[in-house]
Amino acid sequence: MSTPHTPFAQYIADILQGLKSLVVGLWITLKRLFTRIVTVQYPRQKLTMTPQFRGHIEAILFDDTKSHHCVACGLCARLCPSHVIKVQGEKTKAGAFKQGQQYYIDFSKCSLCGLCVDYCPEQTLRFSAEYELVFYDRWDTVIDIMGRLKESR
Amino acid sequence: MNIFQLPYLKDIYAFLGSDITSGLVGLLIIAAIMPLNVAFLVLVERKVAGHIQLRPGPMEVGPHGILQTLIDAVKLLGKELVTPQATDRAIFFFAPIIVVAPAFVGFVPLPFSPTMQIKDINVGFLLILAFSSISVISILMAGWSSNNKYSLIGAVRSVAQNVAYEIPLLLSTMSVVIMTNTVKMGDIVQAQSSIWFIFLQPVAALIFFVSTIAETNRAPFDLVEAESELVSGFHTEYTGMRFSLFFLAEYTNMVIASAMFTTLFLGGWYGPFLPGMVWFLIKTYFLIFVVMWARWTYPRIRFDQLMNFAWKIMIPVALVNLLLTALVLKVV
Repeated sequence: MSTPHTPFAQYIADILQGLKSLVVGLWITLKRLFTRIVTVQYPRQKLTMTPQFRGHIEAILFDDTKSHHCVACGLCARLCPSHVIKVQGEKTKAGAFKQGQQYYIDFSKCSLCGLCVDYCPEQTLRFSAEYELVFYDRWDTVIDIMGRLKESR
Repeated sequence: MNIFQLPYLKDIYAFLGSDITSGLVGLLIIAAIMPLNVAFLVLVERKVAGHIQLRPGPMEVGPHGILQTLIDAVKLLGKELVTPQATDRAIFFFAPIIVVAPAFVGFVPLPFSPTMQIKDINVGFLLILAFSSISVISILMAGWSSNNKYSLIGAVRSVAQNVAYEIPLLLSTMSVVIMTNTVKMGDIVQAQSSIWFIFLQPVAALIFFVSTIAETNRAPFDLVEAESELVSGFHTEYTGMRFSLFFLAEYTNMVIASAMFTTLFLGGWYGPFLPGMVWFLIKTYFLIFVVMWARWTYPRIRFDQLMNFAWKIMIPVALVNLLLTALVLKVV
């Protein structure tokens, strides 16, 4: 389309151009009006977290033992740069491995570096998908990993 | 003996046919329906806004939030009516009352169907246009008496805007009046029994529609309220029911404007299969939807753009349209 030369032709062209852009705008919002909404009604509907999501760590439940594989070696506790992991275990029968009994992390100081998950020789740790992390007290941030595993079973 | 055949019965019930009775009954119906209608429209507006922005709108009170605005009304009824200290008390008190009055009067000549009309007065839509100007005065009263710089700016803008947009509004209605030779609402609708005036007068219809959006202070012409720059303009200082009266007037003016457009350009009650009143309401509410749709599509225009648009585009185009209509009808 060639540009108009006279001011009057420009005036008319501006009006027509404006009308066209208004219709284009209305068409866009009309399409949006019938697009599926993306809101999640949070307390009643929840999103599933992606596999990359890093909540606090949790113990994996294995099918062969119906339990975790933690042997309480303490590698995670020694490796942890923030010193937030406490792990204790005991031998339940002679000749067997130790078994992790108590596993606590202080999540308020955890930096979510993931070294414990990477270095666990039994590969029994992973990041949980827990994202509703609201606490009333500083001691509530201390998370009982084994207790959570028992509850989830 | 049949009681309906008594000779004096017609005299006893003659008052039912009088103008005062029909006016009273009509106003009572309006007073009952208007707030409910506004509650419904606010909900529709929020739903339309939500879905255009890919969210569901109110969802909590009742299924899909349909009771939300009723609950809001109850909340507003319970609120304290705060009058700030430095206000002009009398004007501050009367402004929200005066803003509702033209909204009531505007319903009087609206022809919902050939019989559903309070009174088909001779001045017709001139009455509505005359009374809708009063709401400008009440907005100015509200903004002035609030003693608040934002309210005053909003009120001053409102006056300039309404004065500017009343001219193209009247000019575009004049194009219709030239064709019908009457301003009675019922006669205008009957003149459209064969073809709607929107097909004969598309330019006038567009100008009328844009002008009514500006007259009712709706986005993109909502410089009067302009939440993002003037807090909420002229009703910043109002609380509770006084605030909701302004809201009531805004949405009711929207209904009246859409009903006027239906009467003037969309053939009023004419339509196939369904009764006239249903067609009238369908057309009116569709136009209200278009107004909401436009609100959530366009950004608010700047004040100089607003004035330039009125004086440099709307009024010349409306004048040329009127001139052409007159030439075609009276000369050719």
